[in-house]
Amino acid sequence: MPSEEIQGEFRKNTSGKRLSTMIMNDYLELHRRASEGAFVVWIAIIVPAELLGGFENVVYAVPESHAALCAGKGAGPVLCEKAEGLGYSTDLCSYARIDIGTAFDGGRDSPTFGLPRPDLLISNNNNCSLLVKWFDVYHRAWGVPHLVLDIPFCYQNQNDRDFRYIMDQFGTLISAIEEMSGQRFDMDRARESVRLSSEAFKEWKRFLSFAAHRPSGITAFDSFVQMAPILTSRGTRRLVDHYRLLADETGEQIKEGIFPVPDERYRLLWDNIAPWHQLRKMSGRLADLGANITSASYTYCIGALEGEYDPYEFDGNDPLAWLARLQNFSVCPHGLNLRGKAMKEVIGRNEIDGVVFASNRSCKVYSLMQMDQMRYIREELGIPCVMIDVDHADVRKYSEEAAFTRLEALLEMIEA
Amino acid sequence: MGGARCMASKGVNEVKSFPDSLAGLKSQGHTLIGCFPLYPPLELLHSFGLTPVVLWGLLQDITHLALSDRHLQPYACGVARSLSEFVLSRGSEFFDAMFMYNACDTLRNLPEILESSLGRNGTPIPLFRLHIPAVPLSRAFASVYLKERIRALIGELEKFTGKAFSKQAFLRSTALYNRQRRLSLDLEHLAAAGRIRFADCSGILLSAGRMPVDDHITILERTIREFNGRAPGHQGIRIMLSGILPPPAALLDAIERAGLMVAANDIAALRRSYGYLPSASADPGAYYEDLYRNRYPCTTILPSADRRLETVMQTLRESDVQGFIFVGEKFCEHEYFEIPAIKRMLEAAGVRTLELEIGMDNALNLDAYRTRIEAFAEMLRQGARGSRRNKDAV
Repeated sequence: MPSEEIQGEFRKNTSGKRLSTMIMNDYLELHRRASEGAFVVWIAIIVPAELLGGFENVVYAVPESHAALCAGKGAGPVLCEKAEGLGYSTDLCSYARIDIGTAFDGGRDSPTFGLPRPDLLISNNNNCSLLVKWFDVYHRAWGVPHLVLDIPFCYQNQNDRDFRYIMDQFGTLISAIEEMSGQRFDMDRARESVRLSSEAFKEWKRFLSFAAHRPSGITAFDSFVQMAPILTSRGTRRLVDHYRLLADETGEQIKEGIFPVPDERYRLLWDNIAPWHQLRKMSGRLADLGANITSASYTYCIGALEGEYDPYEFDGNDPLAWLARLQNFSVCPHGLNLRGKAMKEVIGRNEIDGVVFASNRSCKVYSLMQMDQMRYIREELGIPCVMIDVDHADVRKYSEEAAFTRLEALLEMIEA
Repeated sequence: MGGARCMASKGVNEVKSFPDSLAGLKSQGHTLIGCFPLYPPLELLHSFGLTPVVLWGLLQDITHLALSDRHLQPYACGVARSLSEFVLSRGSEFFDAMFMYNACDTLRNLPEILESSLGRNGTPIPLFRLHIPAVPLSRAFASVYLKERIRALIGELEKFTGKAFSKQAFLRSTALYNRQRRLSLDLEHLAAAGRIRFADCSGILLSAGRMPVDDHITILERTIREFNGRAPGHQGIRIMLSGILPPPAALLDAIERAGLMVAANDIAALRRSYGYLPSASADPGAYYEDLYRNRYPCTTILPSADRRLETVMQTLRESDVQGFIFVGEKFCEHEYFEIPAIKRMLEAAGVRTLELEIGMDNALNLDAYRTRIEAFAEMLRQGARGSRRNKDAV
């Protein structure tokens, strides 16, 4: 965890160490099962992995998550350049460029040796419709089937018509996987997978809830790093165990008076995808200023319905219905009002002093509402805000000094 | 019509500016509905007595983005930024309503931004939304969903206009728009035959978005009559243009001066908009299922991805073109994800390609564009000479 480096007394705990092992094992397991003949599916983040859990021998990989890992490990630029060398514009999402650069160079320079070649691609268009275009690149190059989940954007809460539409698509998806993989879908397996995800999300929210403590028990950077297994172990017992341990340990540290930023003077909220290449640097430099980004829209949305904060719990009945209802559990598919509603809730709960809007060239869907969102937070809620320029995975498009000039100005505004 | 008189008297490439066109229409009592690009259901809106205009091709008319810049970062595409600027600065002056659908991620983010800003200014404009399935409409549930959404839209339009949906009116509207599509293709063919400059042709075709369909039909008919009998006056190495919008007139001029001739296009505001003529139907659900399912492929119509390369290739072959110029809309990721695949396909087929990029500051870079276009034309000429020599040798 990045915070280990910035505060001598805040040590990497068991859940921090377990995370590294877990991610490494998840990728090794993915490669192993793929090499032994498992049906491999590449999915976009919001595609319901729990549905794939309804099959005995289907494994999944999330290219966005793999790209984030590459960026965090410093491999972003070299992998982006490979894609750019193939003709992909530098204006395209850096996740996509990293992933394309990896995929077309046999996994070289990737900390996970890339991802096993897919048998099926499943993208969706609510988080971002460019995922569809990105997955189409592989569909064309390798002739791998590509299925799209079309999830209508939420200007208001999901309505019945959209819910039914999503359920219908799940039915088609299941039939297609059955046909392609030769395996039968087992609803009970899927139900168990959903039950475990729901439980894991509750533990996740319990972990995030420690951001309400003064000083905060966590940083948003912890949550960025710790969200990784949601994308590699969704619907598993090990995910529940991990988040329970994470929340328990964080609670214990608070009781012992161990905090990531002990002399916390400014409590901030981050809006956008994590700046993967800056986690350590940014958290450390902020801590030196007495500032802690305690919360992030990128991670507090996980497991919640649009515009909400608390997790959407599984009632034990139809797992597909739970998945369909939760098909918007990230910020990007939410309209301005829903984003504002959730952010207002978190600002209140966690006693936020200022909001950092990270304007992210690589994620237009997240970013192209921020100027209005910022106006709302500043004018309606009276919370100081600042906008900094980032790119979530391409460090070449980020200027640390320019960002900190603005971050320091935000702290001055809070102080004033 | 003001627009038609203007073009007849001043030449085919003179089209009124967007604001002037709309001001003319307002003064004549049109109820204007401003539609977000790219492919709104114009026929349905028209059948309710509304005059739909499509909000793209505004760059020539908007040079300052003072209002848009308060809401959108500079890495939004020019279409979104100019649309926002126009709606925020003059929308309430012209539009009785607006319409948007899920064309792309940037456009889907705009409605609330515009609504809240106009609302704060005390000049709200009613906005209709539609979600067009991004999965193949051959799937029964997707077709059902589209039809439900169309029915819901009809209900909203009935409430807004105070008129009941009329099958006859809808049929009349669809016939008009199909006539417009057919004439647009005819005009394109005249350009491909060298009887009219593509720059003129493109200006007329793009103007469809800013005038009533029957006025546009009048202009198309008159222009086709005027140029149909003319001897081919412009020849050159045949190329195909691709992109979201046709390039600015100065760039088209540079292309022609370099000895190139635009014989085909794969431009969203042109061929992709009118390349398919749907079957007549009094049922809007069935009509739009046909249109959105079979329309000319576009990078933004996600289920058409598999057909796109094949269609581009077919258009190339039919038009006998030797070069392909991609005019990229800066920051349009839908387009940029597909370029490498298209380039690979074209290069394998022996078709040379050139990539240009148009941003908000394109006027400043015209000389740089010219140099690249001239170099491309020279490369094509050398290629043509080479292949002639090879033929002679054989």
